[in-house]
Amino acid sequence: METSRRNFLIGTSIVAGSAAVGGYHETLGKAITMQRRGEKANDAIYGNAPLTEITQKEGVITHSNDFVVKPSVCNGCTTFCSVRVKIDTKSGEVVRVFGNPYSLLSSDPWLPFKTPLEESFKATSGWKESGLEMRSTACSRGNLVYEKLKDPFRVTTPLKRVGKRGEDKWASISIEQLIKEISEGGNLFGEGEVQGLKALADTKTLIDAQNPDYGPIANKLCVLGTADEGRQNYMVHRFVQSFGTVNFMGHTSICGLSMRAGEAAYLDDFVGSPHLKPDLEHCEFLLSIGTAPAQAGNPFKRQAKLLAKGRTSGALRYVIVTPILTNSDSIAVGDRSRWLPIKPSGDLALVMGMIRFIIEEERYLKSYLAIPSDVAQKTLNEVSFTNASHLVIMEGAKKGEILVDAAKAVHVIDKADGMLKNAANVLEADILYEGEVSLEGAKYTVKSSFVLLKEAAFEHSLDFYAKESGVDEKTMVELAHEFTSHGRSVGVDCHGGTMHSTGFYTTYAIMMLGALVGNLNHKGGMSAGGGRFKDFNGACYNLLAYAGKQKPFGARIDRARMAYEKTSEYKRKVEQGINPYPAKDAWFPFSPAIEAEVISSSANAYPYKLGALITWNSNFIYGQSGSEHLLPLLKDPAKAIPLFVAIDPFINETSRYADYIVPDSVLYETWGVLSPWAGHLTKTTHVRYPILKSPNATFSNGEPISMDSFMIELGKALGLAGFGKNAINGVNAKFDFDKPEDFYLRAFENIAMDGATPAPEASDDEIALAGLDEYVPLLQRICTENWRRVAYVMSRGGRFAEKASAYEGAKMSNAYKKPIAIYNQSVGTAFNALSGEPFSGVPRYYAPRFYTGAKIDMDSKEFNLLAFSYKSNVLSSYSASVESLRDTRYTTFIDLSTTTAKNYGIAHGDHVVVRSREGKVQGICRIREGLHPFSIGIEHGGGREGEGSRSVHIDGLQKEGRIARRSGVNINKLGLCDASRLNIATLSDFVVGSNARQAIPVHIEKL
Amino acid sequence: MDEKELQQSRRGFVKKTTALIGAAVLTAPSANAISLTNPGRERGDARYIGQEGKRFGMVIDLRKCVGCQACTSACKSENRVPKEKFRTYVPEYELGTYPNVHKAFLPQLCNHCAEPSCVSVCPTGATFARKDGIVVVDSEVCWGCGYCINACPYDKRYFNPITNVADKCTLCAHRVDHGLLPACVESCVGGARVFGDFNDPHSAVSKLLSSFPTTVLKPASGTKPRVFYIALSGEIQGLPYSPNVLDDMARKIDGMPTTREWSTKGE
Repeated sequence: METSRRNFLIGTSIVAGSAAVGGYHETLGKAITMQRRGEKANDAIYGNAPLTEITQKEGVITHSNDFVVKPSVCNGCTTFCSVRVKIDTKSGEVVRVFGNPYSLLSSDPWLPFKTPLEESFKATSGWKESGLEMRSTACSRGNLVYEKLKDPFRVTTPLKRVGKRGEDKWASISIEQLIKEISEGGNLFGEGEVQGLKALADTKTLIDAQNPDYGPIANKLCVLGTADEGRQNYMVHRFVQSFGTVNFMGHTSICGLSMRAGEAAYLDDFVGSPHLKPDLEHCEFLLSIGTAPAQAGNPFKRQAKLLAKGRTSGALRYVIVTPILTNSDSIAVGDRSRWLPIKPSGDLALVMGMIRFIIEEERYLKSYLAIPSDVAQKTLNEVSFTNASHLVIMEGAKKGEILVDAAKAVHVIDKADGMLKNAANVLEADILYEGEVSLEGAKYTVKSSFVLLKEAAFEHSLDFYAKESGVDEKTMVELAHEFTSHGRSVGVDCHGGTMHSTGFYTTYAIMMLGALVGNLNHKGGMSAGGGRFKDFNGACYNLLAYAGKQKPFGARIDRARMAYEKTSEYKRKVEQGINPYPAKDAWFPFSPAIEAEVISSSANAYPYKLGALITWNSNFIYGQSGSEHLLPLLKDPAKAIPLFVAIDPFINETSRYADYIVPDSVLYETWGVLSPWAGHLTKTTHVRYPILKSPNATFSNGEPISMDSFMIELGKALGLAGFGKNAINGVNAKFDFDKPEDFYLRAFENIAMDGATPAPEASDDEIALAGLDEYVPLLQRICTENWRRVAYVMSRGGRFAEKASAYEGAKMSNAYKKPIAIYNQSVGTAFNALSGEPFSGVPRYYAPRFYTGAKIDMDSKEFNLLAFSYKSNVLSSYSASVESLRDTRYTTFIDLSTTTAKNYGIAHGDHVVVRSREGKVQGICRIREGLHPFSIGIEHGGGREGEGSRSVHIDGLQKEGRIARRSGVNINKLGLCDASRLNIATLSDFVVGSNARQAIPVHIEKL
Repeated sequence: MDEKELQQSRRGFVKKTTALIGAAVLTAPSANAISLTNPGRERGDARYIGQEGKRFGMVIDLRKCVGCQACTSACKSENRVPKEKFRTYVPEYELGTYPNVHKAFLPQLCNHCAEPSCVSVCPTGATFARKDGIVVVDSEVCWGCGYCINACPYDKRYFNPITNVADKCTLCAHRVDHGLLPACVESCVGGARVFGDFNDPHSAVSKLLSSFPTTVLKPASGTKPRVFYIALSGEIQGLPYSPNVLDDMARKIDGMPTTREWSTKGE
């Protein structure tokens, strides 16, 4: 064994040329016993491959009658790629999945929207080798995820628990009975009275007269979703906001909220929370920190494809800063790709060091940062601008605010004459100003945003930053130098790696690097996305508005979107003359939603206790670091959640604690409207509609049970507005809302009719080719004269702008318009609700910490390694029931570096236990060279305890759980709590509450 | 004789048999000469003959491979490859010493060799190269002796537990014969896999061959593979075995089958 060469195969690898020991041995056995025929293959040469869906001969396409290929959207991960599904026309079963060649999430280049459907099949075929350039792909998950449809653990009828919560014992129940029970309440489980949803649907009575800011009783219903897979607007606008609760949240706080919030701060838009992504196609230098294109990320395939293209035939060079060597790297591209190992959570110090160096050495783009306004930006023909020159008031009642006049116009110092002027009248402003200014008769002491950034960066020396990050000063400086040596076609990116206790400022700092080189909206720089066609509120209908829609108000259960200083609790204390700090617990004014806070907040009744929880494909128990601490609160209905209804096609780690399970549709059986969340420069909207018959039980009107149909029937049962007669607002008329198609087909119609030139009309031939025949009567009824245009959009899986529309010169066509916040006023005027500590309005270094500021001990003797998780290119939280994927990746490991393993006497394949202060996991240790020595890496997607991992009893029959689904390690079991918070609260970022799953101090030992 | 000994003696038997057949091949003028008659070929069935005048194969541009295993999954789905078996797979390596480490990926499939050693050892004529170079197995004729599986220096054949015969990559001949591309090529996310006709000087594969230096796996085996690699690191050829194939280890712990293509040597 040539271990001295240190060439390690990773995990499942094979080596060319090994004799197939197992296979051959088996073969020989059969030969010796003269065992002959197994099952005959379908074809002596072609084997068991199904027949082809088309035949291409001399460029002429002939379609098989045995199959139909229909467009849909994949749910294998959160990218939600547009795909095409080959379906056996006789059995109705899925045979194969391809990418959709019209969609940029699966192809690049992609087909012009006007391309005839027939041509699209030719384009991806072998005709003149066109399919090589035009290939449209599905990833390893996307190719096999259809197995979920037929999984034996799929729930197709409504269930009610028959044991205690979490005992995995269920009984089938009719959907009508289920709706009756959860609406009316009563002694549903022989455990005492449970309040039904009807009693909670009260938008008039306040929860707490002492604290009117907590809003009405309706807020006691909380609805949890997951990533928006195309139906979130339906859920939020048609049900949640009809019910009248403020409490809906997606999965962002356990996914990538630190990234989202950091980018929102940078772009000064906490409401829209836009995402930034590098324009990989024209990027010349990419610095990616805590995320790795082609390893995972969103959009997964698009980033991977553009990375591969850019480094092979483009100008792209990149550095990936992660604790683990990822699949972004390849030795085949030489020094185009580099890996800079970093210890988990070391990234903030690294980037603050880089910012310091760039400012100190004046390597930032001065002329760009001096642009003070959109007017100046336009005059100078620039791509974006920042508030670097805007002046922040340092003292007095307006402390922390940006200096504006009575008309809210920003005033800056003109570089030309040193005078304070309306920013609209200045082309080049002074970004280094600090001093006194007078505006409208008042005097202010001010500093420019840029000065504040500089001061924050200069708080520590490069030596300090190097020490804290674990990256030596020379490397840090070289990286900063290189980053500022490629002009403006430079990208910066980050994502899940920032999900630690200081992740918000980490992201803000990383994005700030981009401002220093002026890359926003610049070709090859950063893009806020290409936008979408108008969908729910558009040309023909406003599907989000209806008579009787509530305006939910009051504090959210997660205490997000609201500053503590706005609460009556705060005001009361001030009135009483007592120090308002600390509040009872943390508040998160900039965060959109924090799923991770729901259970503990309700248990603490702060701000109030929930009456009911509806989860919809949500799985925080699997996904939230430290969720083990929440289980006692979830198990006992008296503690946090008196009524728990899960809408879920599988019983997952979270829904196994539910009182009721309502089956949802799966994959290609589902409706939806989606736009890529980032990484696209051109307008893109995908549509999804049922192309397979759902096996789920039905309502009396024949509609299969799904989230969509359930919300309609539950809404009607509760007497909510927005369902049934006249519940849909057309431009000129009202329409009934009784089935999901009444909503979604109209959204498709908005998409088709958007803009000056609506989508073309589909011919009968194309309708047949797309397998849309069964939709024709519905389309004619619902979309009347526009129906063929809607069919055109459906046949192509959405509506898409052409690739050529991405840029106007060096500027991105869909440019972000607001100024970049070098200083963010919202953050700079906010306070920590427990300590009263003001938050920094600019990126600043903070050591890993608990909410109130106590340092997390990262260097203890016992817990001397830092655990982190990384996204898998094969597994995802959606892939538990896709058993074929386990052929490719059976399990997940505890990754340890070669040197650390040696120090601990641990060998490749040893059984190890990893302990944090509050949790532990066991697993097989995998030794890797490509790992930071102070870290332990765990691939996300293994160690499942739901979706067929455990045995379940349904109607007295036991379904045996499958061990392969349990295999592997779930890092979230190591998660920590924050003792500085009220009772039980899982550790999170101290500004935005994003769940801290990275950089958990741990101890490893051999079992 | 306990189970282990039995296995060892069987292995010994295999080695001897292989050597014998190897010797026989040496005396034969070419691989085709020892191919036995095959009814499908004799009646000129297009599935057996292939596309005359063409020579199919692949160029894999490793600069574009991201090791995502989309090809692996697409192949499994398209060809209904039995559980725990693979026609193609992308092993992943780490090369170098921390912190100077790089990833390497090596997509592998049947090389559709010009001198396929699997064909020359087949005692029944079940496996042969079509005129377009695609090496196939006639599952009607194959009786599952396994010689070809042992003879392939690339370990790219497997015993199909459903049909009880030898099985392998067909370059998706059923798709190619219908004017389409192999599933792995259709689904290659990075665009690394390029399929085409080496006889056509204007084809993408021919152009890549003439524009870039390429390598084949195990050139010394004399099989003349028709899958070429761009930017294949010399370090990968002849890499040592992993001390343990951990996936297999985890499977064993779980009581799952481990009879996989890459089962740990000597296990």
